[in-house]
Amino acid sequence: MHDVIAFIEHTAGQPRRVSLEAATKAKELASKLGGKAHAVIVGGGASAAAEILKGYPVDQIHVLDDAALDGFLIDPSVDALESVAKAAGPALVLVPNTMTGRDVGSRLAARLDAGMNADATDIVVNGTNVACVSPKLGGLTITTCAFKNSEYGVVAIRPNVFTAQAQAGAGEIVAIAPSGKSYAIVVEETVNEAAAELGVEEASVVVSGGRGLGGPEPFKTILKDLADELGGAVGASRAAVDAGWISHGHQVGQTGKTISPNLYIAVGISGAIQHKVGMRTASTIVAINKDGGVPIADFADLLVVGDAFAIVPELTRAVRSAKA
Amino acid sequence: MKIVVTVKLVPDTSADKRIDPATKRLVRGGVETVLNPFDEYAIEAALQLKEKLGEGTTVTIFTMAPETGKEVVRKALAMGADDAVMLSDAGLAGSDIWGTSYAMAAALKKIGFDLVITGTQSTDAITGDVPGMLAEYLGVPGLTYLRKLEVDGDKVRGQRETETGFQTVSAATPALVSVTKSINEPRYPSLKGIMGAKKKTIVMMTLAELGLTKAVGSDGAKTELTDLATPPVRGKGQVVTAADGTEGARIIVDFLKEKKLL
Ligand SMILES: Cc1cc2nc3c(=O)[nH]c(=O)nc-3n(C[C@H](O)[C@H](O)[C@H](O)COP(=O)(O)OP(=O)(O)OC[C@H]3O[C@@H](n4cnc5c(N)ncnc54)[C@H](O)[C@@H]3O)c2cc1C
Ligand SMILES: Nc1ncnc2c1ncn2[C@@H]1O[C@H](COP(=O)(O)O)[C@@H](O)[C@H]1O
Repeated sequence: MHDVIAFIEHTAGQPRRVSLEAATKAKELASKLGGKAHAVIVGGGASAAAEILKGYPVDQIHVLDDAALDGFLIDPSVDALESVAKAAGPALVLVPNTMTGRDVGSRLAARLDAGMNADATDIVVNGTNVACVSPKLGGLTITTCAFKNSEYGVVAIRPNVFTAQAQAGAGEIVAIAPSGKSYAIVVEETVNEAAAELGVEEASVVVSGGRGLGGPEPFKTILKDLADELGGAVGASRAAVDAGWISHGHQVGQTGKTISPNLYIAVGISGAIQHKVGMRTASTIVAINKDGGVPIADFADLLVVGDAFAIVPELTRAVRSAKA
Repeated sequence: MKIVVTVKLVPDTSADKRIDPATKRLVRGGVETVLNPFDEYAIEAALQLKEKLGEGTTVTIFTMAPETGKEVVRKALAMGADDAVMLSDAGLAGSDIWGTSYAMAAALKKIGFDLVITGTQSTDAITGDVPGMLAEYLGVPGLTYLRKLEVDGDKVRGQRETETGFQTVSAATPALVSVTKSINEPRYPSLKGIMGAKKKTIVMMTLAELGLTKAVGSDGAKTELTDLATPPVRGKGQVVTAADGTEGARIIVDFLKEKKLL
């Protein structure tokens, strides 16, 4: 492996932050491997995203700007990545460990007969050898997995663990020739139920609520206000999701998302093992619970024992004035 | 319509999972093996399609797992699937994501299908990468993360979950779909189902039957586990009781400032 290719996931030209993290990491790894760093951007708005990518240290930005491609699911991105990868030769491809990133990465890996490392929190280069570090079994074990027997390797990187560093590189724009194909999977409509808000996987601050919040309202009011004030996202325990208070995309834990935010605030969540495995790798954990004897007391950095309904709105106000 | 549901057998989620430091493989002995909880939604989705489409629709369970998992496969049959195929071969030990998908695809091609339904992730590996790789090796469209699924003639349509809502996606069969846990509420096997499952066929398949051209198992794996570490234990932090909301807020703000998070 020589060159490093970052797949840039974007919404109408706005790259997801994890993609900028991937681009920054791609350059660092490419320097170690003695190759080039590439970014690949596909779909409507790709050129706008490329302008943003110029502020990051990649050598080449491959662009296929065609809104018509948004009418197909995933395949155009896989084709574009495949063409860039084949032209580059043995390469490492970084995709975000998000729904779309996993789909694109896994399909690409099959095309290239490549090994795949999932949910990487670190990528280590040793000579020409590339290995990925990833927490497994809900963070109970940290594994290091090296690529072998494969010319190409695909790594799905966990959002929020690598830093995105704005620092312009060569940033040469290269147009990807459209394949002219029509694809099998048609996107008939795209519906945004929630405002395009930051997902729990990517947010550096996550404020989660559990059964202790008693209903759907607090998720939209007191929790949301605090998350907004901290520039973060709202998460939830399974109990809250199962009760229908908030959609499944917000669930943190074994059957939800595994996240590593800088700060995790658990409100009215007891801290069951299945919840813990989804957030134990957060840098700092703060809990608010009316009961001091809950399991989360054993692994939160700070547990404030008190009523969430009294504390959370005050906290939002206090954060606001602390920032002012 | 022939539906094949891929299910993974995983160590019980409530059990203490661990990796053997010597072999660097997941220790499956000692803990109970269960159906990957995510795959129960896939089975339920298949059974609901069968009920809707009626006569001529069959549901086959497929798993790549050691033969010892047979009893677990019976549980899937007890839910109402018609039969099962197990790809079991010592040569598969140590397979990585690539090898698993490559071998599974060959087996599914041999079984034949109009629709493959998978779960979205396994509770042990949690990669979520098998469905995509599988679709690619099968050479069929892969409609992933569906929370709604319908089949109309040779067309499959569904609602694909996204971070902000959903997309309605469709493709022609043969196809692969992966379904999320929002799609349904998996049924419990009835007593009749459990009894009936004992008589259902579980076909055993080996690697030799697949005629693979590439090596699988640990020899063919494209990634290899080189190190295992135990994460630093999260120690118990401070527990402070707040007299009221204002005090609680102040304690947290002070803490966040100290941690330079504010
Ligand atoms: C196979 C499996 C998978 C699972 N996957 C997940 C998963 O992905 N994610 C997940 O979260 N769970 C998961 N669970 C469920 C998990 O076991 C717990 O049941 C769940 O996490 C509990 O959610 P909770 O903490 O919100 O509720 P509870 O455990 O009921 O805790 C509610 C807390 O709120 C506190 N409280 C009440 N009122 C107030 C108030 N006014 N102010 C402050 N605190 C208050 C209470 O003291 C209590 O500690 C899974 C379970 C299984 C079996
Ligand atoms: N060994 C296996 N046998 C059958 N199905 C599997 C196997 N491994 C993965 N799958 C399927 O792939 C999905 C995603 O699993 P994973 O990619 O391992 O997280 C699961 O929900 C299963 O449907």
